[in-house]
Amino acid sequence: MAGRLKSRIMALGLLACLVLIAIAVVAAPGASFSAQDREQLLAGTSTHHPTGTDALGRDRMVRVGAALLLSLAGAVAAAALTTMAAAAVGTISAFSHAYLGSLAMLVCDVFLALPWLFLLMMVRSALPLTTSPAHSAAITFLVLAALGWPACARAVYRGAIDLRNAEWLLQARAGGLHGRQIARHVLPNLMPLLLPQFLVSVPAFVIAEANLGALGLGIGEPLPSWGGMLLELDNSAMLVRTSWIYLPIALLILVLLLLEAIAIEV
Amino acid sequence: MRISRVLVPSVSTILAATITVACAGQAAPRLPGELAWTIGYDPKTFDPAKVDDQASELVRYLTGGVLLRFNRSTQKVEPQLAENWSLSPDGRTLVFKLRGGLQFSDGSKLTSRDAAWSIKRVLSPETGAPTAEEFISPAGVTLETPDERTLIVHLPKRVIGIGKVFDEIAIEPAQRPSEGRVTAGPFLVADYRRSQYVRLRRNPHYFARDNNGVQLPFATGIRLDVVDNHEQVIRLFEHGEYDVIDNLPPDYFGLLKQKAPGAVRDLGASLNTEQMWFNQAPGAPLAEWEKSWFRSQAFRVAVSRSIHRTDLARIAYEGHATPAYSFISPANSVWYDRTITVPHEDTEAAKASLFRAGFRMNGSVLTDSAGHTVKFSILTNAGNAARMKMATLIQEDLKSLGMQVTVVALDFPALIERLMHTQDYEACLLGLENVDTEPNAMMNLWLSSSPNHQWDPSEKTPATAWEAEIDKQIQLQATSPAPQVRKAAVDRVQQIVADQQPFIYLVYPNVLKAISPQLRGVQPTILTPGLVWNIEAISRDEGRAAAGR
Repeated sequence: MAGRLKSRIMALGLLACLVLIAIAVVAAPGASFSAQDREQLLAGTSTHHPTGTDALGRDRMVRVGAALLLSLAGAVAAAALTTMAAAAVGTISAFSHAYLGSLAMLVCDVFLALPWLFLLMMVRSALPLTTSPAHSAAITFLVLAALGWPACARAVYRGAIDLRNAEWLLQARAGGLHGRQIARHVLPNLMPLLLPQFLVSVPAFVIAEANLGALGLGIGEPLPSWGGMLLELDNSAMLVRTSWIYLPIALLILVLLLLEAIAIEV
Repeated sequence: MRISRVLVPSVSTILAATITVACAGQAAPRLPGELAWTIGYDPKTFDPAKVDDQASELVRYLTGGVLLRFNRSTQKVEPQLAENWSLSPDGRTLVFKLRGGLQFSDGSKLTSRDAAWSIKRVLSPETGAPTAEEFISPAGVTLETPDERTLIVHLPKRVIGIGKVFDEIAIEPAQRPSEGRVTAGPFLVADYRRSQYVRLRRNPHYFARDNNGVQLPFATGIRLDVVDNHEQVIRLFEHGEYDVIDNLPPDYFGLLKQKAPGAVRDLGASLNTEQMWFNQAPGAPLAEWEKSWFRSQAFRVAVSRSIHRTDLARIAYEGHATPAYSFISPANSVWYDRTITVPHEDTEAAKASLFRAGFRMNGSVLTDSAGHTVKFSILTNAGNAARMKMATLIQEDLKSLGMQVTVVALDFPALIERLMHTQDYEACLLGLENVDTEPNAMMNLWLSSSPNHQWDPSEKTPATAWEAEIDKQIQLQATSPAPQVRKAAVDRVQQIVADQQPFIYLVYPNVLKAISPQLRGVQPTILTPGLVWNIEAISRDEGRAAAGR
């Protein structure tokens, strides 16, 4: 148990280090993820560009750093929203009439059966075209959150049902506990369920955004995203030009492994 | 709780989606003397009269015997099954004299009655042949066959470039359409496996012979594999499984050049164009001030002048593209006008013209006279790396004018929905594939009444004087029998387009080919079907040996 805790703390520390480095790189004077050095295309290591440039001459390190921050911030926010929504739906369903609970779970099942990728594509194509890249990034993660809560809500619902039937709560309700008071007592008891759900959702949203970006339908240019950068790997002609092209995928896998290590056996 | 169930499949998906090199399939075994290359998708039909897609057109080209063939190298019409032909001075009567002793691939005799039947079938509305439209009034065409070798075609009115139309009419046995199984061309369809390959076999009764009297074609057959994965095509070409790659993507050109320097060719500018345009449709659901920007000539010209086309060609196409300023490519030497004046790149001049038109700089942001910030989106199709790069480069270029540009990539159906139906877009960046050097082929783009008149489709009457002038000139070139009048009309349209910039032409992508060193007789050309236009004369070294030639 102590070993697992230690490895989780190490993973968290490493992830924090990565985030701090990314902030330092992105916030450094003169750093820009969109500035194009058109004479330095797919360049290797240099003093100006330590990890080279991409196909449009943009600094790869700044772009990877910005993508990491954007992806993590968006995924954490989306996971928090998902978890809150799931907690609300699961708890209310469990403590309301049985038919309402069944209806809510039916809605969850319908959501789970939806082809989320096509839904995301539909939402993306329905957005106003002048939506700025920053807004489109926010909307992308919001949509991910809106589609991500049902699986979590089902688990919360099960946990809340168990709590509803627990003797201590039956006695408390018989003693007059109701409404907000129930929520105040139930939610802390659901934390062992909600925390892992939150931690599981973070890498799932990171990967979902990357998937969408790899299809060319994610966050708009010039804002960097994992998916957009992974697109370069689709082309073997690019792979032989510079090894730095593997930096985004290497970092993505590292981040996902760290997130898994943090979430594991919570 | 473990999350490997989330992580492992997700990472696998990403890797599978991004690294597609490794797991490509294998080509079918090659027969002795057989040529092989790829088509991107299955032919929709093998019926030569119903062809309306590129894969079917290629099969028709390789199998169909035609009265006249348009020579892709000399760009002249030459007799093929016809020994000679003539056109009356009024342009309404064609007389074809067929070669003697012609046979179909099954050994049956080919006469003028077969030719007349094949042409009638193409003209019949029941067939629905796209080629019929090229006769302008197909219902009024009549045919006579005074003897077995003579065919007379009467047209209700003159059709400019009528000779080329017969390049698209394959002669089939009368009353026996066979979907390419019985042909008068160099090959016939021998086998087809959906999503795998089309196999063509040599026609043993093909009429043509080389200068030494050896019967053509040299190759014993052709295998067209259905593959739409560039990585796979290039890998199999390197392994000698394929003999040619007709449209080599620019980023793979350099890679292949490193490995096989003699195998790749850059033939220069193609006939195709890449362009952007602003939505000028009055009914578009855009703010009125945006519409007024897009209708402003000064605005469009300023945008055009601030785009660094040489960078687009160098960066988005790895140098394998040519900056474009006109709808006619310099590769189309007959119709390209080298004397037109075009708005050259000059950001300062572009700013000055915007200021004269009432635009102002508010800090680093451009605003119109009413104070609206100039911001718009450029739409393009997802999955086209070169277009995404061009749009991102243009986004940066227009920043120097203070314009705020958003680049939006949509999947093709969503893009077409916006372009053709809702018209809910501001600017669009797309390409146009031109397979014909004739300006007639572009009429549907330039006539203001056409639904393909992209910047303002289906105008009831021309919205502007310059569009009316384009209509007039484009119709003049389509009807005038005098070549010099046609040329002058097309030159005039080129100048109007350069002045008004309804389409802002960006680049002409170059024609990039890969040819196996084992091939003999290839004469690369920019016109479709590219490397294999003279298929009869092409062979592989080992193919000749196997055929005992």
